[in-house]
Amino acid sequence: MVEFKNVSVVYPGGVDALHRINLKINDGDFAFVVGSSGAGKSTLIKLILKEVNPTEGEVCVNGYNLSTLKKRKIPELRRTIGVVFQDFRLIPTMTVYDNVAFVLRVIDAPQKYIRSRVPYVISLVGLTHKAKAYPSDLSGGEQQRVALARALVNDPQLIIADEPTGNIDPALSYEIVDLLKGINACGTTVLMVTHEHDIVRHFGGRIININAGTIAFDEVIGGGNEG
Amino acid sequence: MKVSSFKYLVNQGIKSIWVNRLMSFASLCIMTVSLLMVGLSVLVSVNITKMIGNIESKNEVIVVIADGAPQVSIDDLGNQLKSHNNVASVTFFSKDEAWVDMQKDMTEDEKELFQYIDSSPLPDTYRVRIKDISKLKTTCADFESYSFVDEVNAPTDFASILTSLRNIVAILSSAIIAALIIVCLVIISNTTRTSVFARRKEINIMKYVGATNGFIKVPFFVEGTVIGVVSAIIATITTKIAYDSIFGFFENDFQLWSMFGVSSLIPFNQLAWKVFLAYLLCGIVIGAIGTVISTRKHLNV
Repeated sequence: MVEFKNVSVVYPGGVDALHRINLKINDGDFAFVVGSSGAGKSTLIKLILKEVNPTEGEVCVNGYNLSTLKKRKIPELRRTIGVVFQDFRLIPTMTVYDNVAFVLRVIDAPQKYIRSRVPYVISLVGLTHKAKAYPSDLSGGEQQRVALARALVNDPQLIIADEPTGNIDPALSYEIVDLLKGINACGTTVLMVTHEHDIVRHFGGRIININAGTIAFDEVIGGGNEG
Repeated sequence: MKVSSFKYLVNQGIKSIWVNRLMSFASLCIMTVSLLMVGLSVLVSVNITKMIGNIESKNEVIVVIADGAPQVSIDDLGNQLKSHNNVASVTFFSKDEAWVDMQKDMTEDEKELFQYIDSSPLPDTYRVRIKDISKLKTTCADFESYSFVDEVNAPTDFASILTSLRNIVAILSSAIIAALIIVCLVIISNTTRTSVFARRKEINIMKYVGATNGFIKVPFFVEGTVIGVVSAIIATITTKIAYDSIFGFFENDFQLWSMFGVSSLIPFNQLAWKVFLAYLLCGIVIGAIGTVISTRKHLNV
């Protein structure tokens, strides 16, 4: 669960990024976060990952109160969150398998578990045949699927997808969101930041619209594919 | 951390040397050259100091014993000289030995001239080697105060020249070595910083997936250590080759150099382990710790 209570963020330069935000995303939710550039979407994600701290208010993520969370506990928090970025952020010197396995190595998972879990997750995103390839050998869509597998492998409580379709073909974008919807159907909370209105209209669901640092709209709408 | 995780991280560190081979090669070259510059400067300074020390040790103070001094007093004087804290060794040279010695260097004419002299016209002496030549003047003054000492002959002017030469060499070499160390540290830290900067995205990704700082640092630490060790080995081999050729040059012309009182260089075999261990220590400390310090900046995500 993610909860923002009266959260404001003012950056050192005086930029008012978020202003008294109240937001609750329950376990198992799927929510789109939309808004124009500079509206505060990225700040919202940075707060969840404890990359920035609120100037005011309180953020709780997966049972961690981030206001009181010690610096050395941040890795622990991040292990409960899977992140998918617009620019994929794969480690270029590692194969697809190693990029995905890396997350499990970070948490000291047993070798046996890594050997069974990683191929399974790679198969979920349909890249078994590319397991030994390097990111530079993959298309944008494939790279994003690897990023998704990496976010998923640790079985996180929450997946944050920051513009996951921003760098890939429109046709593949629907595939990625379909995968995210499938993950969500298994009980994982998904928060997807996007400014692609077509996708939002197509899939529907909970839409959180951020405008000038405040929540302008937080409603559930029906998707085009739901008839 | 589990053994398997540790093994994985060590492997990652070694692997990344190859993956980032261009930066690794640059770090290796800079580290090796830095070690060589500092190492060779230290060796030159050590040898010059040793040479000066050798010249110093060859200088003897001659304590002339008063004519007619009884044997007991001569022995007492010997013991008194030996017990002085600036004395390395004391050798008694009797008037007869001195006379025989002098005759060896005489020409035939001189020998003919002195053939009618039955007993040695020379005095008994003590030849004293001094530990610290910079204290020569005060030491001679002490000797002069002893009973049955007729006079004390010492190369005080030469000693003061040597003392100032040794001081100049010590100050100059310390300054050069210190400057070289600073220059090398700046260059190495810039290289490691560039190397780490090139991989900041990688570090960033690791942080996002929940890697602890220790987990991120271990491969960098391994990488820095390996580069440090390899640099130390290359630097030692290069030093040996360079040193041996200089050593050979000195050995070939040893007769010439020894005329000036210059001793031979210290053989490399006597220094090899010290040089290697010093290089190894510097290589590991600078390589490993330097790399890890450079990663710190990128860990605050």
